[in-house]
Amino acid sequence: MASLPRKLELFYDVLSPYSWLGFEVLCRYQNIWNISLKLRPSFLAGIMRDSGNLRPVFVPRKKKYLKDELQYLAEFYQVPLVIPRDLRGVVIDKGSLDAMRFLSSVEIKNPEMLEKVSRELWMRIWSRDEDITEPQSIQIAAEKAGFSEEQAKGLLERCSTEEVKEKLRETTDTACKYGAFGLPTVLFHMDDKSHILFGSDRLELLAHLLGEQWLGPVPSTVKSKLSAI
Amino acid sequence: MASLPRKLELFYDVLSPYSWLGFEILCRYRNFWNIDLQLHPTLIAGIMKDSGNKPPALVPRRGKYLSKDLQRLGNFYQVPIQIPKDFLFVMLEKGSLTAMRFLTAVNMECPEMLERVSRELWMRIWSRDEDITEPQSILAAAKKAGLFEDQAKGLLERCSTEEVKKKLRETTETACKYGAFGLPMVVVHVDNKSHMLFGSDRMELLAHLLERRLKKKKTQPVKNYDHAPPAPPIVLCLNILTQRHKYRLLSRHHYSLLPLWGGGESP
Repeated sequence: MASLPRKLELFYDVLSPYSWLGFEVLCRYQNIWNISLKLRPSFLAGIMRDSGNLRPVFVPRKKKYLKDELQYLAEFYQVPLVIPRDLRGVVIDKGSLDAMRFLSSVEIKNPEMLEKVSRELWMRIWSRDEDITEPQSIQIAAEKAGFSEEQAKGLLERCSTEEVKEKLRETTDTACKYGAFGLPTVLFHMDDKSHILFGSDRLELLAHLLGEQWLGPVPSTVKSKLSAI
Repeated sequence: MASLPRKLELFYDVLSPYSWLGFEILCRYRNFWNIDLQLHPTLIAGIMKDSGNKPPALVPRRGKYLSKDLQRLGNFYQVPIQIPKDFLFVMLEKGSLTAMRFLTAVNMECPEMLERVSRELWMRIWSRDEDITEPQSILAAAKKAGLFEDQAKGLLERCSTEEVKKKLRETTETACKYGAFGLPMVVVHVDNKSHMLFGSDRMELLAHLLERRLKKKKTQPVKNYDHAPPAPPIVLCLNILTQRHKYRLLSRHHYSLLPLWGGGESP
């Protein structure tokens, strides 16, 4: 008898490029591994503040390394990541509060759309160097993901409600409660214990802990196999 | 005609547990990959100071996570890591200056012993929670690695010479020039360019880069993000069988090169 899928929660923020990498890999594996992937939009700045951790861009050499490394990782993970011209301006000054509130709003009302909208926001900030802080920017991403104009407007309006703000706060607090000090953070439960893994570079270890096979960051899909026949 | 081995430099400090993981993986793969692995004993404290970076363990949540992370990785990579009881004291107060000077001396006089001596020092600090700062601790590690007592004593004496101190400083400065802000750091040289990777968790990326010869390629955008529906089991099995050989790199089944730990003997 097949065992129940194991619930994996991915805490992420579209401000975080490494979150994008982890997100895409787990989305690829959700139909390969026996998992039920739950996306949890979180607020990176909140996690940093709460844990006392420092953003890597504040250490000059780390910032330089990040820029180089992300280009290698983009190619290896097959994610079209491009560093924004004004990295510090984008990740520190502009931030992602409204975007993440929007995703929390989507999580409450249309969780099945969360993957697509998250991706469109990442494509804006981390592939096309476009804004994600203005309402019209978020509107465009939502419509590109498949929402109608009205639906997107409605979700945007809900962002200023206490319900949505509270949702984002709760998710962020949950991540902190489990020990998060950065994103992406994966949470899963095994043998009555909770486990977190931090970073897009712990997914092979995750596979091992789950008893699943690691096939690299770009596992072949059925489509590509069929097209090869 | 076979191509020349690619030069791969590993900058490491035995104070760094992640350096140990990176070190063991590369020592295993030096026989599989066409590489010329060069080991560079480096001082992590010097790198931290120069780069303005702080040890991750200083952030309480990170320190807690690090403990678990290392246990899991040790198990996965089959490296017998055990966190020292007072690991902040070991890492931040005791440090590794003499040990790294000793490894520098070994590298200068008998580089063929560098791998074994480095491993014995790691076994002391990061497996048996033993000291690596006192002269007798270092001598014990050296002898266990196979150095004779006289030889080991001679190398220990050389540690206080300007030549050895300077060599360790220079290696640390070289690492900083490559952009180091922590260890382990790998620098791979291909097509007259050097590429730096930080961390023991970049080995799969390193394998990929070596395989692709680090050609400058424009990132191919993933055009279609539609993820396939669940595959029937037989197709999944075939997927796994054909792809698995590519990913032997980090499969635990291929960590059979090192004998069961205890004797500290290297292959």
